[in-house]
Formats: sequence, structure tokens, C-alpha cells
Amino acid sequence: MEAMEFLRGVAADPHAYARKWKSSGGGRVVGYFCTYTPDELIRAAGCLPFRIFGSGGNMTRADAHLQSYSCSLVRGGLEEALSGRLDFLDATVFPHTCDSIQRLSDIWRLSACVPLHFDVVLPVKLNTASAGRYMVDVFKKFRSDLEGATGTGIDAEKISEEIRNSNRMKRILAGIYEARSADPLSISGGDVYSLIKSSMVMDRGEFIGLAEEVLAGLGPGASAGAGSLKRIVLAGGICSHPDVYSILERSGAHVVWDELCTGTRYFEGEISEKGDPVESLAARYMDRIVCPAKHSDIYARGKNIVRIARERKADGVIFILLKFCDPHAFDYPYMKESLDAGGIPSILLEIEEKLPPEGQLLTRLETFVSTL
Amino acid sequence: MITAGIDIGSITAKALALSGNEILGSRVAFTGYNPEQAAADIFGALLAEIGIERASIGAVVSTGYGRNAVRFADRAITEIICHAAGAYFQDPSVRTVIDIGGQDSKIISIADGGRVRDFAMNDKCAAGTGRFLEVMSRAMEVPLDSFGEMSRRSKSPAPISNTCTVFAESEVISLISKGVQRQDILAGLHESIASRIASMAARIGVAAPVMMTGGVAKNGGLVDALERCLSVEISVTPNAQVNGALGAAVLAAGGLEKK
Repeated sequence: MEAMEFLRGVAADPHAYARKWKSSGGGRVVGYFCTYTPDELIRAAGCLPFRIFGSGGNMTRADAHLQSYSCSLVRGGLEEALSGRLDFLDATVFPHTCDSIQRLSDIWRLSACVPLHFDVVLPVKLNTASAGRYMVDVFKKFRSDLEGATGTGIDAEKISEEIRNSNRMKRILAGIYEARSADPLSISGGDVYSLIKSSMVMDRGEFIGLAEEVLAGLGPGASAGAGSLKRIVLAGGICSHPDVYSILERSGAHVVWDELCTGTRYFEGEISEKGDPVESLAARYMDRIVCPAKHSDIYARGKNIVRIARERKADGVIFILLKFCDPHAFDYPYMKESLDAGGIPSILLEIEEKLPPEGQLLTRLETFVSTL
Repeated sequence: MITAGIDIGSITAKALALSGNEILGSRVAFTGYNPEQAAADIFGALLAEIGIERASIGAVVSTGYGRNAVRFADRAITEIICHAAGAYFQDPSVRTVIDIGGQDSKIISIADGGRVRDFAMNDKCAAGTGRFLEVMSRAMEVPLDSFGEMSRRSKSPAPISNTCTVFAESEVISLISKGVQRQDILAGLHESIASRIASMAARIGVAAPVMMTGGVAKNGGLVDALERCLSVEISVTPNAQVNGALGAAVLAAGGLEKK
């Protein structure tokens, strides 16, 4: 499938995609770290939102600025900027999420040499009416900051158009997830990873066209052999580790759903296409399943992971957490307890951007899968 | 049926042949550079030792980090599952296995029937494993086999604060230069390893009875330190080092229920 091949290429080298987009007259590229970034506003300003996934290489520059107990996403992102590999960025957006990202924002502003810099100071509690009103103000401010910095007016109709595009993308990704859940062999975990990753760095219209082709090619009906595979749900933050999927698949398991920032937390929850578009956007970011750096109901994430595991008939849940990610680490014990109480087995993999030696990971995953 | 288990660990290769409930023989050798060759060699040596033809072996299961390199095995099973099966074969009442090998340390919680209920495993760092003790053996010029006996003579274990192998080695060297007695340094090392294992064990909980397996179980001083640290009695059998291969042979024979 040509569309999938193209998306795999984008996921393998997103920088090359962004450079090409820019040089072919696309406009400004705006880097961001987190899915609380209202990328619809950035797109409405004619810019390309580009999610930064850290660095695949060794750290040589970032550690002069950050402690070794910062997560590898934060350190790796800074490494990419300081090494010049992100020199195509015209701006970076830092939504207020975890402590490390906030402090990275300061270091970035002083050292990363990206011309424009935005802090989007989101509320932390997302389940109060006043936070909802505040969220609308924050997004309005971000819109006018973007307008000022880019010299481009962002009219309401453009925002509405991006909301409709976002919803189309969300429906396609949800469709691909549903197809995989129905038939885990219909698409590999590595390809789903490539889809999600490229959706976060690509021009939306172009992505939608390609992803629609992929979805159309999945077809109905369960593949032979899918029934004997163990059904796994991944939980955590960023999973930028395509190898995890192939190792799991070798162990007799297949990911059928996830609770990841690079997954359902990103695309679930459509945005209302009625009313004031900025208010609709703010409402979606209030309502989405929280990440551990935000607060809604104290049991929200625990209930959600149990609901996902049940709905998706999961045999087990694998938590993939980045080492030194405090918010996720603090949420993990109660989420595991919620699963334990529901009789759903789980395992924790604490990893960094670079995976541990494959043999090690294979031993853990094979053992876990065989106990299911 | 006679079955065999081949455990290709990071430092040593182990092979064991089993007939029903009887262990026919076992061997241990260095794995070296080529795990596939090591497996073939040790299997051949085992067959020669017990005087059995290859054709008489009904099934072979490989395990350990080199398990997938053992081409002649009928199945590869992770060492976590094999250690649980081996410990259960030796003593069905065992509920927790502490396995410390060349580069890995694992805590395995065993459910009824010898199955793995839960496990914890060291990740990137090999501190507190067999390799760690080898490095210390060289730094202190004490053979590994003497670690247990020598450390038991210590009256006041030296505090070792570093858990990183490299830094712990330099800490040990500075203790040596301060004139601290070797048995106290050894006892201190064992305590530092024990506390590291205990913090890993706390993640899954330690239920008695506890058995220790893997090559490091031969170090009685470390077993003592673990018992003190975990406040639990720990059994060690003469088959501790070949327990993974034993479990593999048990599983090759068709699992635990048929035993």
C-alpha cells in the first residue's frame, strides 16, 4: 500500500517531511511537545504544527542544561534543538503540563534559537466551570499571540474549518483502531504507530487523504490465527518505540487499543462544530481524558483504563512509562490497583527513549504474555 | 521420556537431562562468544557424560538469554518461567524465587501449580549480579568461591553506598587503601546487593517459602545478607545454578501438572 509506505517514511524521518513542506512554500513550522497544544489554532494560522519526539541519538549537549533525572523526551527534545536538527522550526509552543516541560520552556527560550516562543498556560484542574472559562481565555490569548507573531489574522471560519478537519482525522484514526480491535492482524502495531506519529507532524489534509486510503484498505473480516493472539492494551504517555510492537507480536500478542498520548488521548473526543469555535476547542481540551499532569475526577484515569481493557476484551495491559516521568509514575500504582481489582493482569516497562537491550525486553514480554 | 534443558546464560551455559523425577546429570560451562556453539558443546558433553544417545532425548527446551540461538531445541521458554518450574519441581511449596545470574536479577512470585504469578527484573544496570561480584573479586583478589565463607567472618560490614558497579569498585578500592579488612568489605558488598534485591522484591511482595537460584546462590554470605534484609528464610539446593535448565527439562517433559 503506497499510502502506508509514505506514512512509514514520515514517521521514520519527520524532520525531512517538515523541511520539504517548508521549502515547497508551506509556511512556518511550529514545534510542540504535548497534545494539550491546540494545534487547530496553529493550522488556522497557516502554520504546520510539528510534534517533537525527542532524540534517537546520544545526548551530548542537553545534559549541560538539564539534570539527568529529567525524562529522555525532554532531554532528547533539547538535544535536537541544540544540535541544530530542528533548525527548520519558526516557533515552539509549550502548554503548561509537567514541571520538566515548563522548565524546558525557559531553557528553550534562552538557548534553542527558535525565533518565536509561546507559553500556553493552561489550567491544571479541568473539572470546574471557572477552569472552563479560563481555558477559553487562554486559547483566545494564544490565538491573538499567534496572529501578532505571524502577522496573519486567524478568522473564525478558518478555525471552524480546522475543527472539521480535526474531526475527520479523529474519525479515521478511530476507524483504524476499531478495525484493528476487531481483527488484530489487519494492521501491524508498527503501522498504527506510524499513522499516529505522522498525524502529529503532517499537513492535515494530506494526512487525511493517505489515512483514508489505509483505512479503506483494511477491509472487513477477521484474519485466521487472530483468535490465538493475546490482546494487549498499552498505557502511558508517549510510545515512540515501534520495536515494542514487533517484539510483542513475536511473543504471541498484539496491541488492540491504547491509553497513550500518542494514541487515544490524542484523537478521542470530537470537537463541537457548532457555536464559537474557540469555545468549542476549549471544551474538547477540557473534556478529553486527562493526562497525569492534569486533574479531573481523581479516579478518572483508573476508571478509563479498566473501561478500555473490558471493552476491548484485553488479556493484559502493558504500562510503558518513560523513566523519570513523575506524573505517570505517581499515577501508576492506583491505575495498577484499579486493574488488579478488575482482575486484569498488567506489567510495567519503565524505559527511556532508547529501549533496553532487545533480549531483556523480549524476556519480560514473553514471560508476561505466557502468563496471560 | 528423557528430556533436556539447555540454559544459555550471559556468563555460563547449563545443560541438564531429566528422566521422570530423576536428574540424570547436569553440566555448567562458560557461554563465551558464540551461544549457539556453547549450546551444542554443552549438550554434547552432557550426553557423553551420562552415556545417552541424542536420539533417546525426547524433547529439548532452551532458556536463558541465548535461548533463541539453540537451534536444536524444540521450544524456547523464558528463564523466568523455567526458574519457576525448576523451583516448583524441587519444592512445590516454594512461593518466591530469587534468581541472580550473570547479568540479571529476578524476583519471581509463583502461583499454585508452579506458574509465574508476577515477576520483577533489573533493567539496564547489572549492579548486584554475578558480573558485579566478578568485578569485586578481581579488585580484592579474592576468588568468588571464597566470598561466602570470608564474608561470614566479618564483625562489622563496611558501608558501601554506591550501587553502580564501576563506582562501587572504586569505593572498594578506597576502602582497601584505608586498610579496611577484606571480610568487612565483602560483607558490606553483600549487604548492598541484598538491599538492592529487597527493594526490587518489595514491588511484587515476598511470600514464604523462598528459594534462591542462579549461580550467585552459591555465595552463602549473600544468601545470609538477603535473609537478614528480607527477614525470611531462604533455601538453596545443590541444583541452584542449573535450576533454569532443570525447569526447561521439566517443561520439555510436558509441563508441571504431569510430574
